[in-house]
Amino acid sequence: MSTRYFGARVTRNEDPALLRGHGLFVDDVRVAGVASGAVLRSPHAHARIVGIDARRARTAPGVLAVYTHADLGTLGEPLPKLIPHPTLIHHKTQRALARDTVRYVGEPVAFVVAEDRYAAEDACDLIAVEYEPLPVVATLEAAVAAGAPRVHDDLDTNVCAHYTQRVGHVEDAFARAPHRVRARFVVDRGASCPIETRGVVAAWDPRARHLDVWDSTQAPIPIRNGLARLLGLPEQHVRVVAPDVGGGFGPKIMMFYPEEVLVPFAAMRLGRPVKWIEDRREHLVATNQEREQIHDAEIAVDADGRILGVRTVFLYDSGAYIPYGLIVPIVAATTLPGPYRIPNYHCEFRAVFTNKTTVSPYRGAGRPHGVFVMERLLDQVAADLGLDRAEVRRRNFIQPDEFPYDVGLTYQDNAPLRYDSGDYPACFARALELIGYRDWPARQARARADGRALGCGVACYVEGTGIGPYEGARITVEPSGRVFVATGVGTQGQGHMTSFAQIAADVLGVSPRDVTVHTGDTALFGWGTGTFASRAATVAGNAVALAAQAVRDKTRLVAASLLEALPEEVELADGRVFVRGVPARALPLGEVAQAANPLRFAMPEEWEGPGLEAVRYFAPPQGAFSNGVHACVVEVDVETAMLTISRYVVVHDCGRVINPLIVEGQIHGGVAQGLGGAFWEKLAYDDQAQPLSTTLMDYLLPTAADVPPVEVAHIETPSPLNPLGVKGAGEAGVIPVAAVIAQAVEDALRPLGIHITEAPLSPNRLRQLIVEARRSP
Amino acid sequence: MKLEGTTTLPAPVETVWKTINDPEALRRCTPGLTELTATGPDAYAATLTIGIAAVKGTYKGTLTITDKRAPTHCKILLEGTGGAGFMKGEGVLDLEPEGTGTLVKWAGDMQVGGLIAGVGQRMLGGVGKMLVGQFFKCLEQQLGSGA
Amino acid sequence: MKPAAFEYHAPDTVEEAVALLDAHGDQAKVLAGGQSLVPLMNMRLARPAVIVDINRIQTLNYLAEDGGTLALGALCRQRAAERSALVARHCPLLGDALALVGHAQIRNRGTVVGSLAHADPAAELCAVLATLGGTVTAVGPQGTRSIPADELFVSYLTTSLDPRELLTEARFPALPRGTGWAWKEIARRHGDFALAGVGVGLALRGGRIAEARIGLTGVGATPVRAARAERSLVGAVPSDALWEAAAEAVRAEVEPDGDIHASAEYRRHIAGVLTRRALAEALTRAREAA
Repeated sequence: MSTRYFGARVTRNEDPALLRGHGLFVDDVRVAGVASGAVLRSPHAHARIVGIDARRARTAPGVLAVYTHADLGTLGEPLPKLIPHPTLIHHKTQRALARDTVRYVGEPVAFVVAEDRYAAEDACDLIAVEYEPLPVVATLEAAVAAGAPRVHDDLDTNVCAHYTQRVGHVEDAFARAPHRVRARFVVDRGASCPIETRGVVAAWDPRARHLDVWDSTQAPIPIRNGLARLLGLPEQHVRVVAPDVGGGFGPKIMMFYPEEVLVPFAAMRLGRPVKWIEDRREHLVATNQEREQIHDAEIAVDADGRILGVRTVFLYDSGAYIPYGLIVPIVAATTLPGPYRIPNYHCEFRAVFTNKTTVSPYRGAGRPHGVFVMERLLDQVAADLGLDRAEVRRRNFIQPDEFPYDVGLTYQDNAPLRYDSGDYPACFARALELIGYRDWPARQARARADGRALGCGVACYVEGTGIGPYEGARITVEPSGRVFVATGVGTQGQGHMTSFAQIAADVLGVSPRDVTVHTGDTALFGWGTGTFASRAATVAGNAVALAAQAVRDKTRLVAASLLEALPEEVELADGRVFVRGVPARALPLGEVAQAANPLRFAMPEEWEGPGLEAVRYFAPPQGAFSNGVHACVVEVDVETAMLTISRYVVVHDCGRVINPLIVEGQIHGGVAQGLGGAFWEKLAYDDQAQPLSTTLMDYLLPTAADVPPVEVAHIETPSPLNPLGVKGAGEAGVIPVAAVIAQAVEDALRPLGIHITEAPLSPNRLRQLIVEARRSP
Repeated sequence: MKLEGTTTLPAPVETVWKTINDPEALRRCTPGLTELTATGPDAYAATLTIGIAAVKGTYKGTLTITDKRAPTHCKILLEGTGGAGFMKGEGVLDLEPEGTGTLVKWAGDMQVGGLIAGVGQRMLGGVGKMLVGQFFKCLEQQLGSGA
Repeated sequence: MKPAAFEYHAPDTVEEAVALLDAHGDQAKVLAGGQSLVPLMNMRLARPAVIVDINRIQTLNYLAEDGGTLALGALCRQRAAERSALVARHCPLLGDALALVGHAQIRNRGTVVGSLAHADPAAELCAVLATLGGTVTAVGPQGTRSIPADELFVSYLTTSLDPRELLTEARFPALPRGTGWAWKEIARRHGDFALAGVGVGLALRGGRIAEARIGLTGVGATPVRAARAERSLVGAVPSDALWEAAAEAVRAEVEPDGDIHASAEYRRHIAGVLTRRALAEALTRAREAA
C-alpha cells in the first residue's frame, strides 16, 4: 500500500462547509410542521414528588401536550443499564420522567411540546409541582458517612460498587520499603461543555411506519437499536442520524438520555415532528458530568527512588444514577501505573451515589485522575529524596525492549492491560529537550533574582486507546470515480471525513478530495458501537483500510478482464487503473466501477457480486496504548496567585500518524480542556447540592484568549495490534495537564514548599496555600 | 448560606418583641411581602416578590414564628416556591437590653434553589444581607415613630 | 432560554421614550446594547412587560469633548469609546478600563451608559465614573437632572434612577494635564468580571502628591472611593512605603463579598495589591507627563 496521503498534513475535507456556516447540526434540521419541546426540571436535589398539576399548562396558548411520568406507559421504566460489571451491585438508572422521586437538580419532571420554544417555556412556568424536600447527600464524603441519607431509599447504602485489583503483594512492598509517601488527592467536578449542546429531532411517518431521529450523539447506532427495542419497531424502520456534531467529548454517549426517549415518544403520540434543543443552563445540570474523585494514595520506593509498590483507595462520585457502569473509575485505576514499572499495586474504589447530576465519561475518563495521583506521588518522592524529578521518572520507565508489557491488570474492555509498544525514555527525552530542562535551574535562578517565580513541570502518561468490540466500513466506488466510505462511528470534530479519506485514497490511488466519508447515519451503515475512548481512528480506520483493500482487489479482478492482464499486474494510481509498466493501457477508476455493474448478460462468478464495493470489520482483541509527555513553564504572581502559562509542550506517541494536522488539533483541544480542569473549570454545588455555576459566567471555560499556544512533537512506535499500526489520540491532550501544572506551580514556589494535591486550582486556593506555607515553620 | 449580625433598635425589649410578633409590622417590613394571611397562631400564608432591580422572583409559601421564648428569643421561618425556584430563610433572633434600646442578635440560614442559585451566586450573600438590613431598618422606623 | 412575552416599542426620540417609560413605570426596561438585559430576559430572571428600544434615537449616539469633560451619549458603544482618540487624549483611564470590559464582540453592542445604568457591582465603568467624579444625565417626565456618581450607585444592580427616567448621557471629567492614571484588575479569564479592580488618578506638585483618586470595583455592592486612603496620600512624598500604607488603608476600607471564585479575604487582599501597583504605575505616568 502506498502511503502518499497517510501521514500527510492534509487539510480537512469538512472545513470549507463548516467555516462557511454550511454545516448541518441538529438545530439546523428542517422538518415541516416541527413542534418544540421544553423540559421542566427539578429545582430540588432530592425530593418526593407529591403532585403535578399541569392543567393550566395544557390549556396555555400554543401548547400541544404536557407529559408526565403517568403518560409514558412502559417508556416510564428505568432506562437501560449500560456496561454491567460483577461488582456493580446497584446499577440504578433514571426514568425518562421522574416518577415519585427526584434525585438531582435538573432531573426531568415533565415534557412540554408547543408550537415554539417560547410557548413551551411559558407553559413550563405554569406547571405546579408540589415537592416534599428530602435530606440531601451533597458530597462524596457525606455519602459514605455513617447515617448518611440514602440517594436511593430502597438501598441501605449509597455505595453501588466496590472493586479491587491487585498486582503482586503490596503489603510486603510497603513493609520493607525504606521510603513511603502518602497523600490525599481531590479532583473536583467538571463538565464537558461542547460548543454545541445536546439536541434531538424526531419525525414519525405513520403510513410508512418509519421513525427518523436526528440526535447530537456520539453513538447513533446503539440509539437506533435501543429506540427500536423500546418502541417495538423493527430496527430497519428506525433511522438515527448524528449530523454535524459540535463536540461530544464523552457525555454525548448515553442510551438513553431522557430527551432521546421523550422526543420520539412525543412525535409518535402527537403525529407531528418534535424538536428539543438543550440550552446552556440545561447543559450544565442535565448533561452528564464527571471528574469528582477522592484518592487516598501511597507509594513505596527504595533509596534510589525506584518504585516498590503503589496503593490507591478512592471514592468515585457517580451522581444520582450510574447508567454507564464503572468505566471511569476502572480507567482511573488502570491508568495510574503509567509508563512505570510497578511490581506491586493495589487499586480499590467505591462508586458512590450523591444527589448531583449523573456522571459518565468525559474526555480522559479517569485517566487524568490516575496520572494526577501517580505524578504527584513521584514528585513528592523526588522532593523527599532530594532527587531530580526527571531522574526519578527515568529510573522507573518501562524500557523499549520490554514490550508487550503486561501490567497485570484488567482494562475497561475486560481484556488484560498489556502495553503493545512504546518508547517512554525517548518521548521523555524529547520533551525535556523541547522545554529546555537541562538549562532550567539556571534560568529559574535568574528569574528568582529578578523577583519572578517561574516553574517548570513535566509529566508522563500512558493512554489506553483503540478498544473493541469492533467497527466496520463499507467502501463503494461510483461510476463517476468518486469513492464513498460509510462507517458506523459518529464524528464530533475528529476529522474522520479526512483521515478515513486518506486511508482509502492511498489504497485506491485517488485523491482524498475524491473520497466522501459518511459517518453517523444508521441508514448508510448499521453496525457499530460509537465514537469514544480514543478508538475511531484505530478501529474504524482499520476497517476502512480492510474494506479499501477488498475494493482494490475487486478492482484488479474486474480491470484485469478489461485490460487483458492478470489481476496482480493491475495498479491503481491518480484515479486510474492500469497495467504495471504500461501506463497507456489504463482506465479511469469510475469506468471500472461501471463495468463492474453490468446491465445485461452474464456476470463472472469470481466477482462475487456487482460493483466495486466491500464491507469489512475490524475487531481488536485489546486496546493499543499511546503515551506522551507534557511539559510547561509557568509564572506565578506570588502576591495575587495568578498564573501565566508561558510555554506548553506536548510530545505524543499515537503510533503511526494518519494526519498530523488532525492529531495536533486533537491535542490542542485536549490541552485547552485539561487547562480548564487544572485552573478554571469547577462545577460548584452548595451544601444542598444546588448547582451554583450554571452559566458560562461562573463555569469558567478558558477561551482562546486564555489558552497558550501548544507546541506538539510526534514520536511513532507503531502498534503491532492492527495492520495500520495506529493508536488513538483523542484524549491525549487532557490527560496529564493538571499534574504538569501542579508540578510547575510547586516548582515556581519551591522556596515556600507548598504541596498541591487538588484540581482545579484557583488563585484563591493557591493564595491560601501560599499563606499557609508562610505561616508554618 | 449562613448570615449573621447585630443591630440596635430604639425601643425596650418588650416593645421590640411585640412588634416582631405583630403581623402588621411583619407585613410592612418583610422585604417584598405582598400578601400575608393568618392561617393559625404565629402562622401565615405569604407571597413575596423579591429581587433586585429587574431581577425578581415571586414566591408563594409560608411565614411562621416558632421557638418562642418571650420576650427574648424566637425563630422566624420564611419559605416559598415560585418560577425562579424556591427559597427558605430561617432566622433566629435574640433580644437583650442595651441602654434604653434593644440589641438584636440575629443568625440566619438562607437557602435558595433553582434558577437564582444557579445564576446569581455572585450576589446572593450580599443581597441576603441587604434584605435583612432592609427588614431591620423598617422595624427601626416603625419603632421610632412610636407605632 | 427564551424570554417571557413582552411588548416592544422602538421610539425615535427621547421624548417618545420618556413618554413610554412614564406610561409603564417599573413594568418597562430600556434596551440599548442589551448585553446585560437580554441574557437576564432569556433566563427569565427579568420579565419586563415592556421593552423600550432606544437604538433608533440617533441623537443619543455621540462622544464629544465639552470643556474638559467627555460627554458620551446613551448609544455610544463601548468599542467606539475604547477606540476614540478623544478618550485616549482626555480620559485614558476610561480607555484602559474599557479594554477589559467583556470581549470585543460584547463591546461592539454594549453601551457605556448602559453599563452604568445596570450597576453591576464588578463593572469597570461604574468604578471609573466614581474615580473621576463623573455624572450622568437623566431625563424623566418631570425634567432633566444630573446625578453624580456617588449618588447614582445605590446597591447591587440598583441605581437611584426612577423607573420613568431615561439615562441619556454620561460625563467623564478629564484628569488635569500632568495627572498620572492606571487601571488594574484581576479577573479569572480574559473578559470576566473583575474579582477586584482599581482605578487611580495621581497628580503631583513640587514632588508631593497634590491629588489622589482611588476607585474600586468588585469589593462591595457599589463602586467604592477609598476616601481615607486618598486623604492619607495628599501632601505626602511618593514612595513604596507610602503605596503600601495606602494599600493597607484600602484593605481596611472595603467590605467585599466572597463567592465561589474568590473569598472576601482574597478580594480584600488583592484590592490592596492592585492599589499599590496602580499607584506606582500612575506615578510613572505623572512623571512622564511632567
